[in-house]
Amino acid sequence: MAESKTPPPSNLSRRSLLKAGLAAGAVAGSAGAARAGGDPLITEIQDWNRYLGDGVQARPYGVPSEFESHVVRRDVEWLTASTESSVNFTPLHELDGIITPNGLCFERHHGGVAEINPAEHRLMINGLVDTPLVFTMEDLKRFPRENRIYFLECAANSGMEWRGSQLNGCQYTHGMVHCVMYTGVPLKLILEEAGIKTSAKWVMPEGADASAMTRSIPLEKALDDCLVAFKMNGEALRPEQGYPLRLVVPGWEGNMWVKWLRRIEVGDEPWHQREETSKYTDLLESGKARRFTWVMDPKSVITSPSPQAPISHGKGPLVISGVAWSGNGRISRVDVSTDGGQNWKTARLDGPSLPKAMHRFYLDIGWDGSDLLLQSRAMDENGYFQPTKNELRAARGENSIYHNNSIQTWYVKADGTVENVEVS
Amino acid sequence: MSKFLKALVIGTALASLPAAAVAGDPAAGEKVFKKCAACHAVGDGAKHKVGPELNDVLGRTAGTAEVYKYSKAMISAGEDGLVWDEATLTAYLTKPRDVVKGTKMAFAGLRKEQDLDNVIAYLATFSADTPAAEEEQSSAEPAEPETKVQTAEASATAKPTPELREGGTFHLGRKATEDEVAAWDIDVRPDGTGLPEGSGTVADGEVLFTDNCAVCHGDFGEGVGRWPVLAGGQDTLRNARPEKTIGSYWPYLSTVYDYVRRSMPYGNARSLSDDDVYALTAYLLYLNDIVEDEDFELSKDNFTEIRLPNEANFIPDDRMEEPHYAQKAEPCMSDCKPDGVTITMRARILDVTPGSVDDDDASGVGGVD
Repeated sequence: MAESKTPPPSNLSRRSLLKAGLAAGAVAGSAGAARAGGDPLITEIQDWNRYLGDGVQARPYGVPSEFESHVVRRDVEWLTASTESSVNFTPLHELDGIITPNGLCFERHHGGVAEINPAEHRLMINGLVDTPLVFTMEDLKRFPRENRIYFLECAANSGMEWRGSQLNGCQYTHGMVHCVMYTGVPLKLILEEAGIKTSAKWVMPEGADASAMTRSIPLEKALDDCLVAFKMNGEALRPEQGYPLRLVVPGWEGNMWVKWLRRIEVGDEPWHQREETSKYTDLLESGKARRFTWVMDPKSVITSPSPQAPISHGKGPLVISGVAWSGNGRISRVDVSTDGGQNWKTARLDGPSLPKAMHRFYLDIGWDGSDLLLQSRAMDENGYFQPTKNELRAARGENSIYHNNSIQTWYVKADGTVENVEVS
Repeated sequence: MSKFLKALVIGTALASLPAAAVAGDPAAGEKVFKKCAACHAVGDGAKHKVGPELNDVLGRTAGTAEVYKYSKAMISAGEDGLVWDEATLTAYLTKPRDVVKGTKMAFAGLRKEQDLDNVIAYLATFSADTPAAEEEQSSAEPAEPETKVQTAEASATAKPTPELREGGTFHLGRKATEDEVAAWDIDVRPDGTGLPEGSGTVADGEVLFTDNCAVCHGDFGEGVGRWPVLAGGQDTLRNARPEKTIGSYWPYLSTVYDYVRRSMPYGNARSLSDDDVYALTAYLLYLNDIVEDEDFELSKDNFTEIRLPNEANFIPDDRMEEPHYAQKAEPCMSDCKPDGVTITMRARILDVTPGSVDDDDASGVGGVD
């Protein structure tokens, strides 16, 4: 009896045959094409249609289909000296909508991933407060909490592209960004619980990891919209995103969103920590460097088609899709060009439009099979437009590393392949 | 695989020396290993750090410690038959990048033959074939119950504060003790706020730097591989490839003290004393020609007298004054480029994308910090 439930041994070869068939279909570029007797995927009974699949609890924590195994974060080995102080990239080209799944949110660590038992985690508030306080995670979960959707972008996103197009894929050129819903306590409530002294002007969050990450943040921002978050997309933060506690600094550079948050000091002057002096300062052509460049400017990128997501279907209807975001607030408009910036059409924004969150845009066109030079240009609700690469380089030179929000160009060729290029 | 490595693999296969036959002095090797300890752990409970853990390294096929992410070069060296024994380790530790071209180990190599023998003898005591290793294992066992007790204690104290405190709006949390604040509040500001008592000289710093820092930053702060360069680079900030070091770029000395004290050495943070950090900071000033006397002593008292050369060259965020933002003009929608559009640069020319055909040895330009 039990035997009859087991798929026959031919299962494997049948499946690989089917895969080969699918691949052939893709090459032909016509998924709906009926053969003489009809599509065997329809005319023949399929294994999954005959045999029982896994029962409940086969995957107590669900994971994506095996056919999605290529959708993963990826790194660029030559970028950094060690993986513990490094970065990997969100596979933007495989995603849609505005929410990034937790397991695909890019990682940036400065001392590896701290693994902390929440029962052993503490948050201290000290400095210019009436009473220095220590909270457990349980304490923090007794404060009123909020749910907010925000993008988080590393200031160095697109940092490898200042001198020209270099990496073939929006995962690499733009993948240091993600957007999730955070659940947490307004930082204001926690600071006020300790009592902020009138001389206070700055706060400094600190991480519990091996880098003991620190950044100076103006008190005004801390009291405005910062959250002390313990959930992302409804579940506990992932270890690589700061479990059990991280700071959320909406619209500002990702480095300030201190992970494994263990302390917030209140002070009257900035601390000029390593990550706001030697790093995360923007060197200009003049030799001067901008510091405290916190806000992430309006930015967008077409995620499909893109070098890792070529057109596989030939002429006809084509969905051009991408994401846009701005640290200043909502995205009010995204324009798309298919001819390298000569002419522009306003794309359709779809899905929620929330301040300091990712926005999804689409331009639905009929592709005639000719070469395209795709660009997107975001505008935020304050009227700021994304600049061109040449405009940014004219203003800053090529050595800023950070805050490259310039317009990206993808070169789509007649065979559907796509390349990262720059245009005049 | 390099010719040198090929010869090495064949040579040792023929010789087939027993792994335990090592000549050096393990006790002396333990001291030499300090150079390695920033990146490698060995002994009971050793985990991978920047480099793989080194228990049982003698007899291990190169590139095969579980979970550790090796360079492609090291994995293929192992596949080609490289097994770590006295001979192969001696060759590798003399000039790592000559033996395994493309290894990600930044270490430049040990120069003294005696050091090589001794450090390999030390590692041999943690390799399974040797009697010493068994001793290590048995003596390590009693440690376990202790760990369990610690965990239990921690979860006992982790319960929410039993009684609501007075003050505040929600009466949550409890007052931090002075010792607790002192343990975590170690930050230092440019005006010297937060500096601890203590001092250290350039000469002391040089010794500490050689033992703890030079493996990644180089003997003179010149940086090994992609590890940060700490010295030099003066007058390069307007160059095509600026070198941003403590001397050429950093605005404040307090940042050096603060950062070394909280995060360095990489993989062994908070292991230096306050005096050690003064000494290392003094040595970094020396490497950057900001102090020139080896007897110079940096202390809490003279710290704020030292100013770094580039302090004045930091300016506030004025991005919004750049023409493309300041004008806030409605952008062009049609016939925007009268001269036409041409492709001026292609990523394919410089193929450094991971997974592309020739990316094995390719390195791009720029970085993430």
